[in-house]
Amino acid sequence: MSQVEKKAGLLRRTSSSKKPLKEKVVLMYDEIFAKEDPAKNNPRFWDELFLMKVNLEYLESKLESVDGEDVQRIQDNINSLFHHCVQALGEEHQIKVVNALQTLCALFRGVHQKNKSASGFDIINMLMGFDKAEQRMKDLMERLDSLLCGDSSESLKSLCLKLLLCLVTVTDNISQNTILEYVMINSIFEAILQILSDASSRGQHGYDAVVLLALLVNYRKYESVNPYIVKLSIVDDEPTLDGMGMVVHQALTEYNRQYKDKEEENQGGFFSTLTSMVGSMFIADADEKLSVQTNEAILLALYEAVHLNRNFITVLAQSHPEIDIAATPTTTTPTTPTTPLGTTPPSLDMMSNPELPLDPNLQTSNLLITFLKYASIVMQDTKDEHRLNSARLCLIILTCIAEDQYADAFLHDDNMNFRVSLHRMPMRHRKKAVDKNIPSRPLVCAVLDLMVEFIVTHMMKDFPMDLYLRCVQIIHKLLCYQKKCRIRLHYTWRELWSALINLLKFLLSNETTLLAKHNIFHLALLVVNLFNMFITYGDTFLPTSNSYDELYYEIVRMHQVFDNLYCMVLRVSTNTGQWKEAASKVTHALVNVRAIINHFNPKIESYAAVNHISQLSEDQVLEVVRSNYDTLTLKLQDGLDQFERYSEQPKEAAFFKELVRSISLNVRKNVSLNTLSQDVLLKEFSTIS
Amino acid sequence: MADAEGSPAVRSLRLSHSAQPPPPASSSSPTTFSCPSSPSSASSSSSSCSESSSDFLTHHHHHHHRHARPQLQLPPPTHGDQASSPSASPRSSSPSGSIGSTCSLGSSSASEGIGSGGTSSGGGDQRGPSPPLDVISEDAMEMDLGVEQVIDPEVALKACQEVLLKVKLQDDQRQHPADVAERGAVTQLISPDAGSIKEEDEEDTDTLSQPDPRPSARPEPFSPPSSSKQSWLLRLFESKLFDVSMAISYLYKSKEPGVQAYIGNRLFSFLDSEVDFYLPQLLNMYVHMDTEVGDAIRPYLIHRCSASITFSLLSAWLLGAYSSDMHISTQRHSRGTKLRKLILSDELNPAPSDSPASSPSHRRHRHHRHDGSNAEASSMFGPGQGQAEVFVSPSRRTHQRSKSDATMASNGPGAGLRRTGSNPKVEAVHEEPERLRPQREFIKSLLCIGKRLATLPTKEQKTQRLISELSLLNHKLPARVWLPTAEHQHHVCRVPHTQAVVLNSKDKAPYIIYVEVLDCDSFETSPVPVRIPETRIRSARSAENLDCSTAANGSSGMTSEHRTGSFCTVPNYDNDDEAWATDDIGQLQVEMEAQTSSSDNISQFSVDSITSLESKEPVFIAAGDIRRRLSENLAHTPTAFRRDPEDPSAVALKEPWEEKVRRIREASPYGHLHTWRLLSVIVKCGDDLRQELLAYQVLRQLQSIWQQERVPLWIKPYKILVMSSDSGMIEPVLNAVSLHQVRKQSQLSLLDYFLQEHGSFTTEAFLTAQRNFVQSCAGYSLICYLLQVKDRHNGNILLDSEGHIIHIDFGFILSSSPRNLGFETSAFKLTSEFVDVMGGLNGDMFNYYKMLMLQGLIAARKHMEKVLQIVEIMQQGSHLPCFHGSSTIRSLKDRFHMSLTEEQLQLLVEQLVDGSVRSITTKLYDSFQYVTNGIM
Repeated sequence: MSQVEKKAGLLRRTSSSKKPLKEKVVLMYDEIFAKEDPAKNNPRFWDELFLMKVNLEYLESKLESVDGEDVQRIQDNINSLFHHCVQALGEEHQIKVVNALQTLCALFRGVHQKNKSASGFDIINMLMGFDKAEQRMKDLMERLDSLLCGDSSESLKSLCLKLLLCLVTVTDNISQNTILEYVMINSIFEAILQILSDASSRGQHGYDAVVLLALLVNYRKYESVNPYIVKLSIVDDEPTLDGMGMVVHQALTEYNRQYKDKEEENQGGFFSTLTSMVGSMFIADADEKLSVQTNEAILLALYEAVHLNRNFITVLAQSHPEIDIAATPTTTTPTTPTTPLGTTPPSLDMMSNPELPLDPNLQTSNLLITFLKYASIVMQDTKDEHRLNSARLCLIILTCIAEDQYADAFLHDDNMNFRVSLHRMPMRHRKKAVDKNIPSRPLVCAVLDLMVEFIVTHMMKDFPMDLYLRCVQIIHKLLCYQKKCRIRLHYTWRELWSALINLLKFLLSNETTLLAKHNIFHLALLVVNLFNMFITYGDTFLPTSNSYDELYYEIVRMHQVFDNLYCMVLRVSTNTGQWKEAASKVTHALVNVRAIINHFNPKIESYAAVNHISQLSEDQVLEVVRSNYDTLTLKLQDGLDQFERYSEQPKEAAFFKELVRSISLNVRKNVSLNTLSQDVLLKEFSTIS
Repeated sequence: MADAEGSPAVRSLRLSHSAQPPPPASSSSPTTFSCPSSPSSASSSSSSCSESSSDFLTHHHHHHHRHARPQLQLPPPTHGDQASSPSASPRSSSPSGSIGSTCSLGSSSASEGIGSGGTSSGGGDQRGPSPPLDVISEDAMEMDLGVEQVIDPEVALKACQEVLLKVKLQDDQRQHPADVAERGAVTQLISPDAGSIKEEDEEDTDTLSQPDPRPSARPEPFSPPSSSKQSWLLRLFESKLFDVSMAISYLYKSKEPGVQAYIGNRLFSFLDSEVDFYLPQLLNMYVHMDTEVGDAIRPYLIHRCSASITFSLLSAWLLGAYSSDMHISTQRHSRGTKLRKLILSDELNPAPSDSPASSPSHRRHRHHRHDGSNAEASSMFGPGQGQAEVFVSPSRRTHQRSKSDATMASNGPGAGLRRTGSNPKVEAVHEEPERLRPQREFIKSLLCIGKRLATLPTKEQKTQRLISELSLLNHKLPARVWLPTAEHQHHVCRVPHTQAVVLNSKDKAPYIIYVEVLDCDSFETSPVPVRIPETRIRSARSAENLDCSTAANGSSGMTSEHRTGSFCTVPNYDNDDEAWATDDIGQLQVEMEAQTSSSDNISQFSVDSITSLESKEPVFIAAGDIRRRLSENLAHTPTAFRRDPEDPSAVALKEPWEEKVRRIREASPYGHLHTWRLLSVIVKCGDDLRQELLAYQVLRQLQSIWQQERVPLWIKPYKILVMSSDSGMIEPVLNAVSLHQVRKQSQLSLLDYFLQEHGSFTTEAFLTAQRNFVQSCAGYSLICYLLQVKDRHNGNILLDSEGHIIHIDFGFILSSSPRNLGFETSAFKLTSEFVDVMGGLNGDMFNYYKMLMLQGLIAARKHMEKVLQIVEIMQQGSHLPCFHGSSTIRSLKDRFHMSLTEEQLQLLVEQLVDGSVRSITTKLYDSFQYVTNGIM
């Protein structure tokens, strides 16, 4: 039989372009699309069909070309084909299983192509028939489940996942894919978990499994109870969660690596263009070359895991990519009890346990570090729609992380120091950061660096207000944690302060253009309140007493920005208009900053006058600040250390809907017919049969 | 049996042993022994002897190895002032002529003793065991003083005779097992479940006992002894004074099988903890000394091993370590190796008191051993790789899953359920538990980590790798594993991996880990704690509740109404607020508050905010106050060390222990359990800790001597666990950092550092710290002198938070010194910095220091034997550098200066101190260390 099939394959390849000669399988398809029951004349029709190499293109195009009336006519045969596909999945003969899987793919796709406008019911009816749909889908999911969990060949498992991905992405909007209702009822969640928990299967199918899971979680997320959400949120099996983390980690690492390679590739031309750039702050040239397709699907998976599953937070810090924990047992060969100790020194038999690869050059890393690096790349350029989405998602994930107590605990853990080399946007007025000199610090420093970096680099006409808000909120959440737990982080807060002040300056100078699109007062309020956090609660989390002086120094030094801001918000709040309320909030928030400025400025001026100095040095100003604290009274503001917790609904629902749509399109594109009909598969199974 | 193939070798080995009897016995003029069946007599007679003695022995057939061995020889004089019997070491004393004659006398009277035993055995039981005991104890009271001062050789000799009698009595008593406390141990051996021991012994002991001449103890009729003839030695043995230390000493020094056998039995009567201290000595004797000694100890070892996993593992590790000095070929067949194999083969299953229950388990065990290597291997590595593919590592997994039979039923399924709750495909893995394995795997993992760390170049990388490795280890906890350095029974539940640090070492990678444990009644039988996921830190609920709520969560989540909650779109979050609202880290917030506060359970009002909320009036604060609070808060912890990538351990070790415990407890998901405790341990790989162990024993001995003599010298022996000849664990000294770290971090002189840490000269805190310093200095000065501790640079001397100094690293003691460069010629390290802290050379405290040293030396001298004994026994068969040369023991003994008067001793102390103060070599050595190792 395999002979025949091989021949068919050969024939097809040569004939597809020119000859009208039809393969046997195509003839069989034609029979299906005829009115008659194909099994009537040939009782072994279905048996034979699944021994034929599937011609996906033909089958799909045939389905697409079916006319409205024909649908009724051939529905029985299609139903029958579907039914037999499902049954063939249980066959021992692997070829049949492969062909059945591919045929099912073609069926799902073809029917949806045909019925873009049609309702889900029609599609279900056409494929399975209303009355039998539930049973058919139950059978299908059970078969897939057992294929995925059994010890069938890896390529077969891969194909199963492809089929599922295919099924999940046949519609642009996943929530309109009615067939998924059956996937909800007949969960394959456990199969996905099992793939992720096992090292070898994770290596081969982890990516597909994670993407599939991320998509399934997003099916009618907001309208109904999605069992995948529920199940994902309660997984507490560490190997599984770690496995998921590793898949995400590998994908992100791969992206980071590719980006780095490209960057190095472009380095030569990059510097030459540098000189020619005048008047533009950013180097737009290199962007095109440097862009690597972002991986939104995997990012979505990371988001869902972080957002839904508390236990996953531990994975962020614990997973160690170089160390594939699950891979160890297979290689582990502990000493046999029968080995007499005397033959070898006892120490030797204790050490003969190869656990982890030993590479001194490998920096220990974890998912969070990789994610931060990834985010630093993605956030460099937010002009592209995909990148904007990715950057937003990155910030949302960071928001979730910053809100989690456990995550905060390890972010601030003084014993977990890492060197995180973030990517920094090449800018004219600063040198490229030297990677070597990055100190080893608690992870939260890297997060703060990333936020500061974003703030400084995105003050542009097309102002990403949403990202800025998230950014400032993340900083706020981290500060709240530090205040609460009295953690004195040794961080150069000055960089943050000056970045924030520059942001205010930017808002002021672009008031009119920005106001047309955004509520800049909200952002200004958040920024000013960050300063208020430092001013009123600095004693609980600042690392040195000097840093408190520096805060005052920085405020006094940049007093003009605050003065101008105050004038502006006062003006807006006294006028009647849509921003009245928002602006007046900022005026209230500015009370302490203004008190500081009004208190210290005269003191500094008089100090300069008394000492006949025109330009005071920093130390002199600090001295003035230090000696004049006691006469300054501040107002305690409410709720500085409170924040709104992140919630996906309703605010972010639209974003995620769009994101999932774009991911669906992307996945559909990638789960191409080519990947479905791999030659590998055929080779593998032809030798088996 | 595992030994089946090895047995011929054993036999031949044993034969050769008996063919060449130990020299001391034979050399001590055979003529002195009238009895033809002495060990030195021809081995040919031995078999017949054992046969003939069989009727005598029938009643304790099950334990050949506990045979009476009534062959007596002169017992060595011990535990007294050697001044009265200056004939040096007892080993050399036995062949000496003068005593030889007493010996012959003794042996003849010994046969009298035998005779009495014989008749009584023939007579049956009417002669109960109790009357002589009474007499003896009375007599023992009388002779208390005498024994302590001197043991007259003659007296001792007489006592020897009585051992026979004693042994005889014991045999009688064995028929009434309930009689005396120590008989409990005996019944243990008789009980059917001890089959394993017996079977094992059939090769070892049986073959042994055939050529063994001892059973010739066959009684010959003599006239019964009158009570006045009660032997002194027996009295000694029966007296309250006869402690483990003396037992070990006699065991070591006596060539007399009877004495050895008696003491072997007698070991059962001591408290386990007392004997445990001498475990290294016992095992070293077992490994390196005559078969007789080994046979005498063996039953005790077997008994303890079968009763305790801890003891089993300790013994196995030590046996391995002490065997390692032997030549490879002898090592393989050595008794030590064999015993180790027996222990590790898990033949010695815990035999519960109700023996029937345990015997089937034993049978099953044997059966499974017969299944061949395959079955064995698979059981060793846990359930076949196939069925456990879901778990990270089948082999490691099971190390947490394996439980003893008893707990399996009660705990196993529950744990399985819990685990699979979220992942139904995961099948709970159960297999026959091997009682030693979880712990061995645990230790092995720790040691492997150390080994791997050593390959990394920088401390930073090492620390990072350490943390990640430990986080993997965490996945397998809690498990039936424990820290052997701890005294309480516990299970390890978590390793707070981020707290671990690599210690300073040039090419090795010792590291310190902190380990969270949960106390339990018995780690062997108590159920292993249920795992609590890391993220569920702050909930004050018990683990069970959490699990229930999660389970309920799973089922109700599906059906529950979707609520558009303020901060959550996932139904199960909302309806499960209680379990999840765990954000109140550090218990800063009351849990109730967390649950009721609507949208924001993370934010917590500071005191100030709350007041401002209550009254709507604006609240004003002074900027100066904020600034002041900041500097005050910062000033509160002025002495915290800076983080230094080159010395990551400094910060970790400087943090006060209480503080660390509190911090880790808060961050631990197990912290709320009342049985929670924090322990720490240093794991060392690539270092031979046998010398450290020896030093520890000596220190402990001296400590207890000084305590007993009420000399306020302060030393801190830290526990050592030898796992092999190049790995082990150390109990860290809490709240202590090295002088090197002190100096590097504080940039202060030691005195200024004391002032900074404890307050000015006149404060009580400073004075206390100074006194502590002096007392510890005196203690360690003596230690350093007596043990000749070298390599005393500032990295090897710790300073604790109370002002004590603690010497660590006893890698160079007794006969060894680093690189033999001839540095450190002074008796001990006494730098001018030390003297400054003591208040100068003429201060009261310095005089106090010298006085303490004198008192300490006098006290130590009084009990010299107890110290010497520890070292001497360990010298047996050892290739440790500290035993290099032939004069180690003699030199050690000389340093106790037995011959000096107290006045002379005082002079000696003065000289020693003077020499050390003046000695520039200490200084020189420090600068040498600074140049070579960067240690200040």
